[in-house]
Amino acid sequence: MARHTGTFGSKLLPTVLYMVAACSAIPITDLLDRASQRSDQLHSLSTTLTQDLDSHLPLTVRLTLPRPSVCHTASLQTPNDKEQALQVPESDLLSLARSLLQAWEDPLVFLSTSANFLPHPAQNAISNKIQELRDHSKSLGDGLNILSGKMGPGARTISMLPYTGGNDVGQDTISQLINLNFLLSCFRRDSHKIDSFLKILRCRATGLPQMC
Amino acid sequence: MRNVFEVMLLLLLLLLPLVTAHAGGQPNSPPGKPVLTSCRSPEKETFTCWWKPGSDGGLSTKHSLFYRKESSDAVHECPDYRTAGENSCFFNKNNTAIWVNYNITVVATNSLGSAYSDPVEVDVVYIVQPNPPENVTVSVMEDKGWPFLRVSWEPPRKADTRSGWITLVYELRVKLKEEDDWETHLAGQQKMFNILSLPSGGEYQVEVRCRPDHGFWSEWSSTSKANVPHHFRRDNSTWILMTVFFAFTFLIVAWLLHLNRHNLKRCILPPVPGPKIKGFDKKLLKSGKSNEIFSALVVPDYPSTPSSNYEDLLVDYLEVYVPTERELQLEESKDPHDDRLKSDSSTSDSDSGRGSCDSHTLLVDKEAKEEARQAECGQTRTEVQRSLKDWDALTYAQIDMVGRDVPSGRVKTWPSLYSPLPRHSSGPLDQQSSLQMAKQHSLSTSSFLAQEASGESYWDVCSHGELPRPLRAKTPPHRGLRARSDADVSGAGLKRAPAGPRSLAPHTSEYVEVQRVNNKDVVLLQPVVTGCYQALPGEVYSKVKRVDSDNILLLQREAREEDGYPGAEQENTTQKASACVYAAVLVQDQMAPMVNGYVDTATMCTLTC
Repeated sequence: MARHTGTFGSKLLPTVLYMVAACSAIPITDLLDRASQRSDQLHSLSTTLTQDLDSHLPLTVRLTLPRPSVCHTASLQTPNDKEQALQVPESDLLSLARSLLQAWEDPLVFLSTSANFLPHPAQNAISNKIQELRDHSKSLGDGLNILSGKMGPGARTISMLPYTGGNDVGQDTISQLINLNFLLSCFRRDSHKIDSFLKILRCRATGLPQMC
Repeated sequence: MRNVFEVMLLLLLLLLPLVTAHAGGQPNSPPGKPVLTSCRSPEKETFTCWWKPGSDGGLSTKHSLFYRKESSDAVHECPDYRTAGENSCFFNKNNTAIWVNYNITVVATNSLGSAYSDPVEVDVVYIVQPNPPENVTVSVMEDKGWPFLRVSWEPPRKADTRSGWITLVYELRVKLKEEDDWETHLAGQQKMFNILSLPSGGEYQVEVRCRPDHGFWSEWSSTSKANVPHHFRRDNSTWILMTVFFAFTFLIVAWLLHLNRHNLKRCILPPVPGPKIKGFDKKLLKSGKSNEIFSALVVPDYPSTPSSNYEDLLVDYLEVYVPTERELQLEESKDPHDDRLKSDSSTSDSDSGRGSCDSHTLLVDKEAKEEARQAECGQTRTEVQRSLKDWDALTYAQIDMVGRDVPSGRVKTWPSLYSPLPRHSSGPLDQQSSLQMAKQHSLSTSSFLAQEASGESYWDVCSHGELPRPLRAKTPPHRGLRARSDADVSGAGLKRAPAGPRSLAPHTSEYVEVQRVNNKDVVLLQPVVTGCYQALPGEVYSKVKRVDSDNILLLQREAREEDGYPGAEQENTTQKASACVYAAVLVQDQMAPMVNGYVDTATMCTLTC
C-alpha cells in the first residue's frame, strides 16, 4: 500500500506542477479572450430564452400585471455609464463579474427545477436551454477563478448576493410565467454586465487599442 | 370710406370662423394615438426615440415624450426634441443610464384632448445600432500573378471600440459593376479583408457594415470601387480539368470500341472462308465425329460398298416403267437420275433410286383405297375421259433396284394393277397369245390406271417387252399404249380376241395378273376374278427368286417353286382365290406400313419366269 500511495504521490506532484506551468504559460489575453467568448455565449442563450418565454405571454398582460421590479443583484454597485465603467480598475471589474456570476448559481438551480413544471408549449426546449445556461455559467466561473489568481488581490473578493426570491413561483399559470420571465430578464442583464466587463478587460490586457 | 372699412372689417370678422371652419372640412376631434416606432443608440452612450403621430384631429397637436426610469417613479420629459429631427427625442449622455429600464410614453395633445401612446420598455444596451464603417478603401494587389482585392475600413467615429466599450464585428459585400447579386463575406473583428476569388477583370464595388456583439446591423457604407485588370486563370485547376476531360473522352471511345468489337474484328480480320462442299457440315466437323461427316458427304446414289454378290442386288419389289415412244421422247430431255435424286432428297430416304415413287403424293390414301376396292368389286367404269384428265396428278411409277434390306423399314406397297382380260384367254398360251395378253394387260392396265387416276395410286404396270426401260404411265403414253395395243390387237388377228379387249378395256372391270415373264421379255398374264380378299395359300408370290439377266425379276411362290401357271382345272379356284388376294391398294396410310423385306402379295405384281 505504501508503494501504491508513493507512486500516486509521485505522479500527483509533477501533474500539479505541469498544470501550474501550463496555466501560467497561457497568456492572460488568451484567458480573457476565452472568458469573453464564454460570457458572450451565456448572454446570447439568456436572450433567446427570454424571447421564448415572452412569446407565450401577451404583451399587455406582461406590462399591466404587477411584477417585482428589483433584481436580487441590484444591491451590487455597478457602473451606470461608460465613463464610470472605464474608470473601474481591472481587478474590481473582475470581482464584480465573479460576484454576479456567483449570485446566479442558486437561482439557476431554481429555474431549472421550475422549468420542468412550466406550463409552456416549448417547455422541453426551455428546460434544455436552462441546463445549458447552468453549464456555461459553471465553466465561466471556473475560468474566472483562474483569472482571479492573475489579476491581483482585489479580484478575489466576491460580494455575496443571496437570492431571496424563494422557491415560490406562484399559484396560477400567469403568475408563474411572469415570475419566471422577470427572473430571466434579470439574468439577461447581469450576463450582459459580465460580458461587458470581461470585454473591457480583454481590450485593456492586449495593450493595443487598435486591436480591440 | 371709413364706413366701408368698418363694414369690411366686420364682414371679415364674421367670416373668419366660417372660413376656418370650412378649411377643416370636418369636425374637430382629439388627436389620434401616436406610436413609438423605435429607439436606437449608436454608441451605447446616447439614444434617440422616434414616434409616429396619429391624426391631429384637425387642430394643432403637440407631442411630448415622457419617461420614467426603472427604479424611481419620477417622470421626466424629453430633454431634446430637435437634435434628432421631427417627432424624435434625443437623450444625451447625461440623461442616458445603461442597464436601466426606461419606460417611455408619447402624448399627443390638442385643444380638444390628448392621446397616450403605448409605453415602451427600453434598455439602452439592447438597442445599439452603430453607424456604418468609415474610410472604406479598396486596393488591387497581386499575388504570384493573380490579382486580388484588399479592403480596409475604420469603425464608425462615435463607437468607442478602442477602450473595449463596444465590440464590433464587420461584414462586407462585393460585386462587379454590371452584376446584380452581391457576394458577402464575414470579416469578424478585423478591419481588413482580402478578396481572392475574382472571377474576371472589371470594375468591382465593395460595401462594409458592422454590428455590435449584441445589437443591430448598421447600414451599408458608401460604395467603394476598384478596377481589376483582365486576367486568364491558367493554373493547376485548368490542367486538372483538361486531363479529366480527355480521360473521360478516352473512356467513352474505348467503351464504344468495346461495344463494336465484333464489327471491328470482322473488318480488320475477315473470317477465313470455310469449305463449300455439298453436304459438308461444319458443326459435325467441330464435334469431331468423322463417321457422321463422311456419311453426310456420301452421295446418296453413289454406291458405298461394291457388291459382288447377287444377294445384295436382289430387290424386294420392283417398280416397273412402261416406256412409250412419246415417253422416250419426253425422257430424253430429262435426266432420270436427277429426278430420282431429287425425289430422294425430298423424302430424305436412304434407299436409292426410289425417286418419285417415294413421294407422299404418290402414295395411296384411304380414299383411293376405298375407290379401288369398290372398283375391284365389280363396278363398271365409264369415266375414262375424266380419269384420264385426272391422270395429270399422278406422276409415274418406275422400276428400280432396291436392296433387300430396307433401313427405314418403310414398305413401298404398291397396289398392283390388274387389267381385265377376257376369260377365255386363260389356258396355255403361245407367244402370240402371250403377246396379245400382254398387250391386253397393258391396255387394261392403262385403262385401269386411268380409272384410278383420281385416287392417286401407284400402279405397277407390267412391261410387255421393254422391261429394262423405265416405265411411265402418263396420259399420252396411255393413249399411245392403248392405241398401240389396239392396233396390235387388231393387227394380230387373234381368233379369240374379239374387239372385246378394246371395247372391254374402258368398261369392264376384269383384272389380270402376271403369269410369268418368258425369256423373250414377254409378260404372261392371266385373268383375275375380282372379289373379296382371300388369301391364297398356295399361290403366294412374294419371294423373289432371282434376278435374271437384263434386270428380270423372278418371283417364286412361297410354298413351292413353280414357274407355271396352274392348269385350267384349277382355274376357278385359282381365279377365285387369286382374285381375292391380288387386290389393289393395300397401303395402309401415307407413311406406308412396315414389311420386312417381303412384298405383300396383294400389292405386288407378280412376275414369273
